[in-house]
This record gives sequence, structure tokens and C-alpha cells, in this order.
Amino acid sequence: MLGKGGKRKFDEHEDGLEGKVVSPTDGPSKVSYTLQRQTIFNISLMKLYNHRPLTEPSLQKTVLINNMLRRIQEELKQEGSLRPMFVAASQPADPLSDNFREAQPAFSHLASPPLLPAELVSTMPLESCLTPASLLEDDTFCTSPAAQHDGPTKPPPPALQAAKDSFSSALDEIEELCPAPTSAEAVAADSAAGDSKAQPSESNLPKPEGLAESRTAEPKLMDPLPGNFEITASTGFLTDLTLDDILFADIDTSMYDFDPCTSATGAASKMAPVSADELLKTLAPYSSQPVTPNQPFKMDLTELDHIMEVLVGS
Amino acid sequence: FLGAGGGNDIQWCFSQVKGAVDDDVAEADIISTVEFNHSGELLATGDKGGRVVIFQQEQENKTQSHSRGEYNVYSTFQSHEPEFDYLKSLEIEEKINKIRWLPQKNAAQFLLSTNDKTIKLWKISERDKRPEGYNLKEEDGRYRDPTTVTTLRVPVFRPMDLMVEASPRRIFANAHTYHINSISINSDYETYLSADDLRINLWHLEITDRSFNIVDIKPANMEELTEVITAAEFHPNSCSTFVYSSSKGTIRLCDMRASALCDRHSKLFEEPEDPSNRSFFSEIISSISDVKFSHSGRYMMTRDYLSVKIWDLNMENRPVETYQVHEYLRSKLCSLYENDCIFDKFECCWNGSDRQVEFSSLCTSDLSSIVMTGSYNNFFRMFDRNTKRDITLEASRENNKPRTVLKPRKVCASGKRKKDEISVDSLDFNKKILHTAWHPKENIIAVATTNNLYIFQDKMN
Repeated sequence: MLGKGGKRKFDEHEDGLEGKVVSPTDGPSKVSYTLQRQTIFNISLMKLYNHRPLTEPSLQKTVLINNMLRRIQEELKQEGSLRPMFVAASQPADPLSDNFREAQPAFSHLASPPLLPAELVSTMPLESCLTPASLLEDDTFCTSPAAQHDGPTKPPPPALQAAKDSFSSALDEIEELCPAPTSAEAVAADSAAGDSKAQPSESNLPKPEGLAESRTAEPKLMDPLPGNFEITASTGFLTDLTLDDILFADIDTSMYDFDPCTSATGAASKMAPVSADELLKTLAPYSSQPVTPNQPFKMDLTELDHIMEVLVGS
Repeated sequence: FLGAGGGNDIQWCFSQVKGAVDDDVAEADIISTVEFNHSGELLATGDKGGRVVIFQQEQENKTQSHSRGEYNVYSTFQSHEPEFDYLKSLEIEEKINKIRWLPQKNAAQFLLSTNDKTIKLWKISERDKRPEGYNLKEEDGRYRDPTTVTTLRVPVFRPMDLMVEASPRRIFANAHTYHINSISINSDYETYLSADDLRINLWHLEITDRSFNIVDIKPANMEELTEVITAAEFHPNSCSTFVYSSSKGTIRLCDMRASALCDRHSKLFEEPEDPSNRSFFSEIISSISDVKFSHSGRYMMTRDYLSVKIWDLNMENRPVETYQVHEYLRSKLCSLYENDCIFDKFECCWNGSDRQVEFSSLCTSDLSSIVMTGSYNNFFRMFDRNTKRDITLEASRENNKPRTVLKPRKVCASGKRKKDEISVDSLDFNKKILHTAWHPKENIIAVATTNNLYIFQDKMN
């Protein structure tokens, strides 16, 4: 016999990512709004940069996605936080605390214990995609079907959600460390500018052809050790990286000639090229090979297999 | 209209289906455009493989008065071939984006077909006689030795099996940097326009080496590009008036008499955004995928992702009518964005303009009274402007027997699903109906699913 309890918050936010935009000002719904925005931002980036068609991509689609990114970016700028949120799960001594302060309160919700509506807890993996494999198994998102928000399309397995975001969180991570104010724009502009000085290291980063492929490609690049995040999040060496160098090494740029984001001069400030060592350090999390001997976070192959099983198999 | 069979409501019955039966769809067979000619006797389809297939309606069978003539294949030809743009290292798709028929002037039929870059004028002609009795040639074509010719005769035409030939008469190329989305023949029947994402060009049907640019919205700095042209059409009666729609949900009406380059519109049609429906996807779902003038030219219809809107050309600030096609998708926009369905371009069409709507025309002064458009799960919808009733029907091979009235379908948005209703989550988003066409004079409709063409007609008694 069910008691006449108060209406669960879960019902209210049932549409979660799908429903109408919740006002960004009310309490816990702010998280859901920002979460939704984050997801859409990530999806938009994936659409723009993962698509390698043989024919020219639709200009209309590109323009609409680009407008979406710009709008979100404007919002973020207005809110004062220049970077899309990413995991702040355990970052006690956050070197970039200035910028994190904004994000922290939002995440404190996620970090707090089970009084949260199931939906909020279950969406945590979207943000904390670099969790150890052992945690993935315990994660409610993976196990609770109620957490699947996707409607008509077959919902991608939670792993896929997490996997997709490893790329975007990589982008996020790098973006947030680049001092350019319009980091998202820089990403867009640089990728399309056809900057040929991008390094071959780009191949280490995922460029899946489609969602299915990303499922297999991504796990390789996921870092199971949260500690890595701290390392790469630290100040110093990443600030003078160019986005091109890291991300857009060997893009076939002929396709982007008519890309509206094409920037001949570059909206982002060009940063000084970085030394190979520094580059390698940042790429360590995304590479399945040990980069340098003193790199403490080599990917453990057995762990890798385990992750792949969890993400792809089940 | 909801199948109740009352009064003047149309009862739709399955008539025919064309195309492969198997579920495995060959990419080249995907239908990309459907268009009746001006008399309705011919029905053309274009596909992703660059082919055009034309069906012809049989002459009405006197003995079978309960059904109209069937459509059978009349001609099939390869309109466009894939090309390669060496400068950009990209393929140019051979997919036929649009077909438009010219009104018939003589025995032959003419149509314009276009892919992303090139428009072609095709002549389709019949040959049912051939000359026989040449002096210097045998019947099989071999040349005779002139020395063996002893008498002379005059060749005569003798009947032969009907042969339908399609030949390209004009090729209008190299005028579009971006992808052509529309072609529209002017009411003068001498000129036509072609529109791509950023530009609209005016052509003369006889001249292929020159075209005039009449709209150009390309910004000097491509980084500033935020809006593209999505569709364009000439006014049915005024040969200097045309409209074009944009990805931001606006329609601009231009008059070519105003200036050579119609960069400044004469009218701008735009509905202010409903603040209660604002979402991240507001802009994307407002993008107009099709625009069609009514027969009189007084109204125009636009299709955006979730609705069909009817505009009175005299009122720019909002549409006179709005019909929700599949409002239940509004809460699924994020998923539809993720799987790209939100970018699907649905077309819309008006009913034919002849006698069957005379009842409706008593109520409005416009013969255009019913609109039809497609949706997902192989559903398509019709809205009657006069009765304000609407119906959802399905194009599927199951449960479709000739002369059986189609059963109306219903999608259950939320809550308890009634019997025979389909829940939103069960909809198949791979089965989309983007292209539909209505016979210009009779109640016959052609509905294209992914690779099949369905023909429905009203129940005749």
C-alpha cells in the first residue's frame, strides 16, 4: 500500500534531458538545465567534427549546429563560466579554482548522497566519464533502466554516453585550460581553418565515423584513473598549447572551405607552440601506449580489456 | 474526415504500391522526389541513384467504373550521374532533389530535374511508328549494295510497339556553388528559378550558358553566416513574384521588378516565437523545409519540423492557420537532434484544384482547402482547412487491400495507450514520409516511403 508521500522530484524531471528547457534559475533544475545544455553542446561538437562524408556536408545542417554552439557559448559567457563543466568530483586543491568556483556548486549536488532524485545521480556518468571501471559497474546509470531518457530512438547504452563524452571531455579539458575567451569558438574556428601545423598526435584522439564505431574506438582512449585528470588539470604546461596541435592534426581541410566557422585569421588567439614533452603529457590519458617512461599513468592493458567489456560487450 | 464517411469527407483507399518488397533498402532506390504533371496523367519520381521513373495513368476502364486508371511504368531513365569535384575532392551526389513538369505544349512532355549542382531539361516523347521501305537500307539497317537496287519506292510509316524515349534537351550547369534545394517554373513558362543554400538564379529555358543571380545572401565573411535559403517558389500567377524560405523560419517575398538583385524583400513573413515553447531547439525546428503557394496564389503554406502553417500573403506578422503534425515529438527533440532526424526535410502539398472541392470552396474563396504532409512510422497527415478536421493514415503493405478504406491511425503521446494506438516510443524513425503529391484534378495521392511509392485514391461509389 503506497503512502501518500509527496510527489517525487523524479516525476517532475522525468523528461530530463528531453523536456522543455527548465529555467536556469531554480535550484536543482539548474543542474538539469546545465546538464542538458552540456549534452547538447557535446552532441553538437561531435556532429561537426566527426562527420567525414564523401560528399560535401549540408550547409544548412552545419549552420544550424554552429548557431546552437554559439548560443550555448554565449550563455556560458554570460553566466561567467567560460568552460563547459566537467568532473570536479574530487579536486581538493584545484589550481584553477577561480573558474571552478562557478561549477563547483552545481556539482556539489551530484557529489552529495542518495537523497538526490534518481535522475540526477544517474546522469553523473555523463560528467564523470573518466571513472574507474569498477565504479562503472556499480553505477546506477548503467543498471537502472529508468535513467534512460532517450525516447523514440533506441537509447545508447550508458557506456556509449560515457564513451562519447570522453572525447568531448577531452575537448572540455583542453578548452578550459586555454586562456582564449571564446574557447568553443576557437575549437570551431581552428578545426575549420585547416591549420596544417596540427601535429600527428591527433590520431590518438577518437574520430569515430559513427556512433557504432565510436563505441569501440572510445574505450581505448578512456582513462580509467581519475588521478590523471588532476595531473592534466594542473596549471602550467597546457596553457600555451594550440588547439590545432592537439586535436586537428590531419583533418582533410578541403571539406571545410565553406564551413561558416572558417576563420582565415582565427578568432582565437594563437598560442605559442609547445614542446613535444608537454604535448605528450597531455596526450597520455588518451593514448593507449605508454608515452614517456616517467609517465606514471600508463594504461593497464588488463584494465583496458575490462573497460572494453563493460562498455562494449554487456 | 476521420473515416466516418460523412458527407463530403474523402475516404482514402489503397490503390497501388510500386517498388521493392524487401526490407533491405538499396541506397540508390531511396525516393527523393515525387511530382504529378499538370494533367495528372503522368507521375514522376526521382531517386538517390539519379534515376527518374515516370508512371502513366491508364485510360479509365469503362467496365471498371469503381476505380480510376492504374499507374504503370511509362519511362525510366538515368537523369544524373555521380560526379567528382576535383577542386574540393568531394563527390557530387546524383540524387534527384526536385522534378518539375512543364505544361504540355505539343505531343512531347518536358520536365526539369535537378541534383545538387546541375539542372536538366528532359524531353519525353513517344514513338509508335517507324519508317519502313528504304531504298538503300535493309529493314535491319544494313546497307544495300546500290547496284542491286532496281526500283525505287517511297518509305512509309508503319505502326510499331510504343517506345518512350527520354532525351536531355538542355543542361544548366555551373551556376551553383552550393547545393540546389529548389527549382520553380515561372508562370510565363519561359523562365525558371533555381535556389541553393545561399543564392537564387533565374534562367531562361532556352539559354544554358547564362543565368541571372536574383538573390544572394552570402555574407562577405563566411564566419558570419547564420541563415541559409531552404526553399523557393514562383507565384502561380504573378511572373515577377517569388518567395524563399530560410533556416530561421522566415519567408521573404520578392518582386523582380524592384531591382535586378532582390536582396531586399518586399515582404517578410515571420511569426514571433512562442516563449512558452522555447528550447535549445527552437531555431532548428523553425527551419522551413518546404513552401508552396495555394492555387489562387493568395495563400502559401510552409512546413517546419513540427507544423504546417498557412500564410495570407497580405499578413506578414503571423500565419492565419497552424496545424500540428506531430506535436508529441516536442519532448523528444534532444534525441531527434542526436540521431539527426530533426534535420529531416518534410514536404507538404495542397489538394488538387478541381470539382471535388466545390463544397469546400463555398466556405472559403480558395480551392486549396486540404493540406497533406508526411511524418514518421510511414504515417502521413491531412488537414482540412474548412472542417478543421485532420486524419493520420499509414502507408504500409499490410492491411492494404484495394478499395478498402484506410484505417485512421493515432499516436498516443503519453499516459495510457488505447487499443490501436501507437505510443511515441514505438514509432520507427527510419520510416519517414518526406515526399507526397496530390493529383491536380482528382482525389488521387502519391505517397513515398523510403523506397516504395504508394498510390491512394478516394472510394468511388
